[in-house]
Amino acid sequence: MSNCKFEEFIDGYLLNKLSERDKELFEEHYFNCTSCFEKLKERDVIIRTIKNHPQLLEQKEEVRASALASLWREVASFFTVRQLALAGVMALLAALVILAVIPRNQLPSPSFVLTDEETVRGSSITLISPVIDMNQPPAYFEWKKLGENVEYQITISNSEVLWKATTRENRIILPEEVKTRMKPGERYSWQVKAFGPDETLIAVSSRVQFKLSEK
Amino acid sequence: MTRKMEEDLQELIVRYRPIITFRVRKALGAQNTDCEDLVSEILSQVVEKIQTGEFRGESSLGTFVYTITSRRIIDYIREKTRVMKYAPEPEPYPDPRETLEVVEMSEKVKKALSRLKPKYREVLYLYYYQELNREEVAARLGVSPRKVSELVNYALKLIRKELKR
Repeated sequence: MSNCKFEEFIDGYLLNKLSERDKELFEEHYFNCTSCFEKLKERDVIIRTIKNHPQLLEQKEEVRASALASLWREVASFFTVRQLALAGVMALLAALVILAVIPRNQLPSPSFVLTDEETVRGSSITLISPVIDMNQPPAYFEWKKLGENVEYQITISNSEVLWKATTRENRIILPEEVKTRMKPGERYSWQVKAFGPDETLIAVSSRVQFKLSEK
Repeated sequence: MTRKMEEDLQELIVRYRPIITFRVRKALGAQNTDCEDLVSEILSQVVEKIQTGEFRGESSLGTFVYTITSRRIIDYIREKTRVMKYAPEPEPYPDPRETLEVVEMSEKVKKALSRLKPKYREVLYLYYYQELNREEVAARLGVSPRKVSELVNYALKLIRKELKR
């Protein structure tokens, strides 16, 4: 199959990102170019499979764990038991020294402003998605998990609070009813707070903004 | 009609049916039950226009077929706009009208995706699933947009390798 300059239009066409003019140009082109049509069909199947099975791309933790396990196996086969034991003792000593020194130099925990009157000091929560401007209301909100037995409270606001919900997962689907209240051109912010088993506030994320682009 | 002409028309149908089908399904949605009828109708129009001499070779045959396809799609949308408001809910994946070839390809893609290294999975997830552009993916991963293209292209190469098995 030869390389054709129209190949770069394939993704844009399938993801509906081309301008009307480019879309028409590319459509006319693939009626004339067998190579591009074959690639288009193939890419269509790939993208649809990804869209229908995103979980195949999300199992990152599992993969990292197996990569670590194989690395460990390689290390273990390279060193003798005595060398490994010595390395273990050295690592333990290093950890003790670090633990003894670091707390004195530790920076204070970050502060988070909750309201005009209320400020807390604590650990942060990393927000994953959405963190950039979008064409349409996001399907879900996702952040990094803190641990077990944590309840998260998410708040989405523009000039006032639009939606507030709690969950024990690190991801929440945005209800259709809320999506319909989100308007193109408006800027929204979202924040997640984490509560421990006794309902004490244990962490707060920064407030991340995103804008829904004008249609 | 001569035997040669009949063979040429048969060849034309074999060549353009999948292309017209792709274009129609993209425009109307794969779940639309009228797609197949519309494709057959377009092919009949093409054959008829060639037989009556309406295609005079001023443009390429592909452009001629494309023009007829696009006009018919626009007419269909105009005719059906009101009706389609009350169309049934789309059927869930997998689409029952999906060809065996596509189902097999999709299985191979799934296999290839599950074998990819995390860096490729991550870039495909952001680029194709979340539909971020190259620059946005680059900002997320802390790499250059050029690197994003390289990662996407290499991941696609690995998937294509699986498809060819």
